[in-house]
Amino acid sequence: MLRRIAGSLGNLFGGRREKELDEEIAFHIEQETKKNVARGMAPDEARRQALVQFGGVEKAKEETREAGRAMLFETILQDVRYGWRTLRQSPGYAAAAILTLALGIGANTAIFSVVHGVLLQSLPYGGGDRLVRVRVDAPGAGVENGHFAVPEIQDVRNLSRTLEGVVEYHSMYFVLLGGSEPQRVQTGVVSANYFDTLGVTPVVGRTFLPGEDKKGAEAVLVLSYSYWMRAFGGDSSVVGRVFTMNDHPHTVIGVLPPIPGYPEDNDVYMPVSACPFRSDPSMENNRQMGMMEVFGRLKPGVRFEAARSDLASVAARMAHDHPSDYPASAHLSLVPVSLREEMTRQARPTFLLLFGTVGLVLLLACANVANLSLARLVRREKEMALRSALGAGKGRLTRQLLTESLLVSLTGGLVGIGIAAAGRGLLVHFAKRFTPRAPEISVDVPVLIFSLAVSLAVGIVLGLLPALSPKRPLSAALQEGRDASGSTPARLRVRNVLIAAQVAISFVLLVGAGLMLRTLWKLSHVDTGFRTEHVLTAHLALNFTRYSNREQRLAFQDQLLERLSGEPGVRSLALAGNFPLNEGGPSNGQYEVEGRPAASPDQKPRADFQRVSADYFATIGVPVLRGRALANSDRYEAPIVAVVNDHMARHVWPGEDPLGKRIRVETDRDKFTWIPIVGVVGDVRQYSIADAPLDQVFLSIRQFPGLGSLLIRTDGDPRRLERSVRAAVHAIGPEQPVDRIRTLDEVRAGALDTPRLTATLLLLFASLALAITATGIAGVIGFSVGQRRQEFGIRMALGALPGTVRAMVLRQGMRQVAIGLALGLAAALVLTRLWSSLLYEVSPTDPPTFLVVAVMLLGVAAIACLIPARRATAVDPMVALRG
Amino acid sequence: MASKSDLLQGTLDVLVLKTLSAGPMHGWGISQRIQQWSEDVLEVNQGSLYPALHRLEEKGWIAAEWGNSENNRRARFYSLTRSGRRQLAEETENWERFVAAVGRVLAAAQ
Repeated sequence: MLRRIAGSLGNLFGGRREKELDEEIAFHIEQETKKNVARGMAPDEARRQALVQFGGVEKAKEETREAGRAMLFETILQDVRYGWRTLRQSPGYAAAAILTLALGIGANTAIFSVVHGVLLQSLPYGGGDRLVRVRVDAPGAGVENGHFAVPEIQDVRNLSRTLEGVVEYHSMYFVLLGGSEPQRVQTGVVSANYFDTLGVTPVVGRTFLPGEDKKGAEAVLVLSYSYWMRAFGGDSSVVGRVFTMNDHPHTVIGVLPPIPGYPEDNDVYMPVSACPFRSDPSMENNRQMGMMEVFGRLKPGVRFEAARSDLASVAARMAHDHPSDYPASAHLSLVPVSLREEMTRQARPTFLLLFGTVGLVLLLACANVANLSLARLVRREKEMALRSALGAGKGRLTRQLLTESLLVSLTGGLVGIGIAAAGRGLLVHFAKRFTPRAPEISVDVPVLIFSLAVSLAVGIVLGLLPALSPKRPLSAALQEGRDASGSTPARLRVRNVLIAAQVAISFVLLVGAGLMLRTLWKLSHVDTGFRTEHVLTAHLALNFTRYSNREQRLAFQDQLLERLSGEPGVRSLALAGNFPLNEGGPSNGQYEVEGRPAASPDQKPRADFQRVSADYFATIGVPVLRGRALANSDRYEAPIVAVVNDHMARHVWPGEDPLGKRIRVETDRDKFTWIPIVGVVGDVRQYSIADAPLDQVFLSIRQFPGLGSLLIRTDGDPRRLERSVRAAVHAIGPEQPVDRIRTLDEVRAGALDTPRLTATLLLLFASLALAITATGIAGVIGFSVGQRRQEFGIRMALGALPGTVRAMVLRQGMRQVAIGLALGLAAALVLTRLWSSLLYEVSPTDPPTFLVVAVMLLGVAAIACLIPARRATAVDPMVALRG
Repeated sequence: MASKSDLLQGTLDVLVLKTLSAGPMHGWGISQRIQQWSEDVLEVNQGSLYPALHRLEEKGWIAAEWGNSENNRRARFYSLTRSGRRQLAEETENWERFVAAVGRVLAAAQ
């Protein structure tokens, strides 16, 4: 089949001409030579004469080619002109076909631009796809995808034989002074050769030089492109300016190009020597102070697998050399992870699912246009027959139809590219939730080539479809007095198959969207364990050089609470290290339960430790189930107490009263303290709505001072307190930034942004599919009803009621729909498994979803059948009979 | 041997059509037949025969098909289509009118 199409195309556009011409002329010369030989010439002479006679083989070939080419070009032009005219004669068909294809190709172009920008093209770093991140795990010690301590980074650098340019990275918030106002900037803290390893060339100035990360080096800063634009309007003179950070002068030396905000979207970068934490002497030899990430580049010629075994032996060597830090039971492992995979892992399933979805939408669009064209072809059959009778070859007619359909598909493609380009902003916004590569999405040359290729393919398939479909004999087509009711059974069958296929595809797409909607509904109705309404949240990271000791931090906390508690509208307020559904992950701190000594240090149980103030539970509406909440009296001088959540109480002390039980933690106060449990609170979804509660221990923020967040429950609109919060913070610490002021409602809604966006896109495409299918059904039924108007007229003249006729039309139409529904059901049962990683508490074969979608599809299809049926029976039988 | 005449511009097409009205023939055969029928007066410039054949094919007046020649070699055979046949009739008529007109002019001049 494919070869047949390719062959006919080759014939149409002269692919094989050249060889044939050679052969033809060779044959001629040979015949002439034979003739000369027969006349008595010597063979050589005979051939020479034949060539002379012919008069220049190449010239003849060239002329023949030119004759062919000129004709071909002329006929193509003719075809295009003629095609354009016929399309303008039926603007309805042209508009419907172009619009349908524009939507289909537009959706595909848009999603392909995402797939190409994020999943297909190489990383926008010079180091490209050879970059790896070194992942550290110690499952036996509860470390999953952990961080590196300084001596460990040295080990990887020194011991690895497959990696070069091993660099470290971590990110912190610092306060940048010297601009118009104090700014909290996210700061990437990196090795001096970090950007050399990645392969990033600055757009202004330079990046770090070797040695700039050594102790005592002057502090320098490199700005990210987006921060440079945002804060300095892209002014190059910022290079050389000096800002104050952590009480030290920092000089800006360069600006980075736009690169992915990976691992974090940092505003500025500094060498490790400038970071007060990282350069602390205690970090140098402590293998427990893990906070860095490690990146490197595969040495030239090194395969990924080699790096894997190399790093495994590095880990073995580390465990061997430092048995007290890495006991055998911890199972320390180092694994290389391709940076490219790392940056796109989360995006891949969703993007591929969307790509599959829009592919199906395009199939639907094609089926619809095919249906339209077949209907139109029936009307044009007489024209075609006439042209054929006048001497147009079959190839010429096929070429004509092909030209017309290419005109339609390419116009549709152009409009589609416009749609995709217009939607780029939305797509980048969407993709940002999945991958740092989102800004790379653009409708660029490869994407244009893709949509052009899709448009061409669509045009060719649609154009050749009529040539492959059965034809009626010429005489029958030409007979006068017969309506152009070319609905041969075979052709009707083609159209019915198309309808069934459309219904099947729509069913799959609708079920997919339905499952995502159900997931979204389930997620938004999860009982998170806390109450979001009327709560304002703000992020407050204490500038630790200013609040370096406990007394300063305590004083700030107490002053802030005191100032704000007097504000009108404040019902309760709290300070906390973090709060539910804000960013971050569990702290996974180790503890010991009194009376249950752990067999080895790394087998101690772990929990998520939170520091909160007295009214924290009341402010976010978490119930105290037993005992008491933390109180203001749990201040620094008082004995340390802890509150645990219900999950931990049941898990650690099943069937026992947890109150009064004691746990022991390593704190910065006393090395080990036995801490009594004074209360049990309700469980909350702390880090993700979808994740089940985990063991949590709450300690008093007055006993372990250090800020993260401010939470206020208000009487009315919490946003009204925003200004008071800023004023209070600045009154206490003029250089203290306060940002990310959001309501808790917004925080919770934000936690659902990703599934909401995915569901919205899937729903959009599924609705598009449904609309396309409905118009397709209406079109086909409408056409067949139009063809049978006389028949209906006779039936009604003979006494059939309009209702009976309508029921008959409905029955015939719905048969295809039912077949399509059965096919779609079978396909969906298999295909929706692909969705399962995106679903929450919804089975991929969720019966209610399947049922609702089936009923909806049947309903829409019935309406699509009934509208044309009504039109047909609304006609006066006598008029129909005469017409 | 009688002197050979070059073909008048445009007459090659009608000669080819005429030749093919006797049945399908390959390019060499066409040239031979024209020569034969004109009793060696007309000799086809073979270099212009193939461009003409392809032109006629594009216009849809003749159709081409690969087949086997008399000595069993693969050759491209040309045949007259229905519209070619009509074209031939038309061109023949034109030609006769043209010849008659030229004849009348020449007779008058003497």
